[in-house]
Amino acid sequence: MRPRQNLVEIFSTFLQFDGDRVSGWATDGRLRRSMQGCLEQSNASSTADHFWALYWYKIWQAQSQPLAEAHLSAYLQEVGYWAAQKTATSFASSQYTLSDCFQIAIARIATVLKGFNPKQGSSLKNYAASLFSSAIKELLRQRQEVDICTDWALLRKLSQKRLIESLQNTGIPAEAIARYVLAWNCFKTLYVPNQATATRKLSKPDPDTWAAIAKLYNAERHNQVVVTEPQASIETLEKWLLASAKAARTYLYPNFVSINAPQPEQGEFIDNLPETAQDSVLAELIAEEEQRDRQDQLAQISTALTAAIANLDPPSQQLLQLYYQQSLTQQQMAAQLDMKQYTVSRRLTKARETLLLALTQWSRDTLHITLTSDVLKDTSTVLEEWLQTHYSPSDSLSRPEQSP
Amino acid sequence: MTFNAALFDPTQIYLEIPAAVQAQAWQQSQTLIAPQSRWQAYLNQLCLNTVLPWLQEEYVPSAKAWPQQRSLANIWAVVNGTAVTVDATRFVFIPTETLDLGELRVPKEWIDLPSWAGNYYLGAQINIDEGYVRLWGYATHQHLKQEGQYDANDHSYSLSETQVIADLNALAVARQLCPDEPTQAAIAPLPPLASTQANNLIQRLGNPDLITPRLAVPFELWGALLEHGGWRQRLYEQRQGMPEQQSVWQWLQSGLTNLAQQGGWERVEFQPSLAGARGTEAGQTEVLLVRQLAIAGQPYELRVLPQCTPAENIWRFELRHGAGEQIPGGFKLRLLTEDLRPFENNEDVAIAATEVLYIEVALAPGEGMVWETEPLPENYDREILRF
Repeated sequence: MRPRQNLVEIFSTFLQFDGDRVSGWATDGRLRRSMQGCLEQSNASSTADHFWALYWYKIWQAQSQPLAEAHLSAYLQEVGYWAAQKTATSFASSQYTLSDCFQIAIARIATVLKGFNPKQGSSLKNYAASLFSSAIKELLRQRQEVDICTDWALLRKLSQKRLIESLQNTGIPAEAIARYVLAWNCFKTLYVPNQATATRKLSKPDPDTWAAIAKLYNAERHNQVVVTEPQASIETLEKWLLASAKAARTYLYPNFVSINAPQPEQGEFIDNLPETAQDSVLAELIAEEEQRDRQDQLAQISTALTAAIANLDPPSQQLLQLYYQQSLTQQQMAAQLDMKQYTVSRRLTKARETLLLALTQWSRDTLHITLTSDVLKDTSTVLEEWLQTHYSPSDSLSRPEQSP
Repeated sequence: MTFNAALFDPTQIYLEIPAAVQAQAWQQSQTLIAPQSRWQAYLNQLCLNTVLPWLQEEYVPSAKAWPQQRSLANIWAVVNGTAVTVDATRFVFIPTETLDLGELRVPKEWIDLPSWAGNYYLGAQINIDEGYVRLWGYATHQHLKQEGQYDANDHSYSLSETQVIADLNALAVARQLCPDEPTQAAIAPLPPLASTQANNLIQRLGNPDLITPRLAVPFELWGALLEHGGWRQRLYEQRQGMPEQQSVWQWLQSGLTNLAQQGGWERVEFQPSLAGARGTEAGQTEVLLVRQLAIAGQPYELRVLPQCTPAENIWRFELRHGAGEQIPGGFKLRLLTEDLRPFENNEDVAIAATEVLYIEVALAPGEGMVWETEPLPENYDREILRF
């Protein structure tokens, strides 16, 4: 991977894959012009990429602007790449390719922006890195599960939210989705396994169960869909359910082609620019100030956490190192330490809990924050990012020159 | 262990379901007749039997399932969710088999019934085939009530994956550093339900052909019925096709039913000379019902004794300390009608420390009584005793 040379490139180019290899950077013309314009107007007051990342983040936050999101998506390309590479290599199966994992990561940009909180002393890159890597892992895990489930088993293993998202994704109209969801609820209630294990290999329900499902559906349809909703036959219900299962599978294997490609040239982005430019000076000032506070805070956090790690017993320190530094999976750690995997998991979680406790105490005592579960949610993010950075001495996130 | 678990995250709690626990949970759930109830009971039992030992071992040895053991089946027969209490804090686990972590979906009962509402709600993903429970996120009652999306179709509140707190370490830290953070939103109590109404509901919802009784009547009625442990138990018995509950007379004469034993009752026979003078004729064996309670960390005994012939139907309820110590001042023993109304002379209060609290009542044949104490015993769930 060729490192990107300057700010304009960093905020306007996208990684291109040829099969599973990086083939280069593709430039989005509108983003390039927008970034050039910004740099000229601001007299290049800062040349640090994180400064401009924060700038675009603030624009995104104020206006939910697609332009800002696109710039940040370009900015986070390497982060996505490294997260993908780390997971793809630590994950034994060759079924999931690097570009596949990269696409999963990049598809999470909106989630990253929504969850990011610069006030918590974190950087967008670090936050994205930790979110990308858990998103990739979670999605791969779900795919494995889906791949070994029969349609009937899969239907029983979906959350209602996931089912609805999957159906929406296929473009089915809302009234039809309501029918499918009710049918699915009736199915899930009445078709339960009659053995204690092997819930992945469920076969098609028997005729009695189908009759019961149809009866329940037809009794409930007036309450839950619309009063005039027609009766549904067993055949119709089966058709809906199979379509739902298919939609759920497709949803886990989306067609990513469009997500990371430079957008076709359209005028809309450019037209928005003058407005954003007005905000820019203010945003820059705020950004600069916060940047200084943050650096200071980060150094203090680092001191507090380094001390907390030193206080852990050596086995716990080793676990953290194996997991965060060597990126071993818990399974690999179990093999290496000759422990049961759930023991590894339990101890690792406990070690991390000790660090979260230390960091939270530090925030309470230093920043005088009143603690609540919400505050802890943010503190947890800060800890995760810090662990990722602390345990990666090569700091692969900020060094694009470290080619694969 | 398995490939699937290889991808787990240290922010989540991952607990193995031992084979013996699985076998036991399966066996325990088989008493439920309706397949959907049986499966729900199985999942919840798996969750409880995996999570509770972990909580006790790792955090608080005194963690307990809520409410009492016998009530678990009558809850799981109709509602999903498993509650565990640690002192005054209630954790509600929501077990699901879902492979995705799309949402934490909590039945309305666990949010809007004042005596059921928890402080924290945890998503428990149960992977039966791989044999693990994964706690993947949590939320407070307040979060669910204020930010949760209410679904009128299945009476549930849900939060999406990004709305819940995905780090279970944060919960452990919250319990240590901010144990007093406000976690519960205000909930209005449900209007009381009269006995006749309750009996009609039990008849109607007790029909096992009705698949989802919780959705069949307005929540106000359903909730009030469910919150009353005695009515909930009767609904359960009705749906299970069990015979009418026996009277306390029958228990005393021909022994306790299994259900009564599961409810914690014992039948005890002893000579009046041992029991002290109680107005019965010397030499006659006295039979009574006894139930052990734990109140404020101390053992207590609730006793029910007949005071006369069956025709007169006069009964004495007694509360005594389990180790012969005194009952502290302020404790109360109280009886209520089946629909929880007080009546004249229905309670005894320890004005100062005392040896025994007692109430005597004359009852109509077949009348039901509900007892309670103040403070309430641990894991208390209302029950109806029939006389």
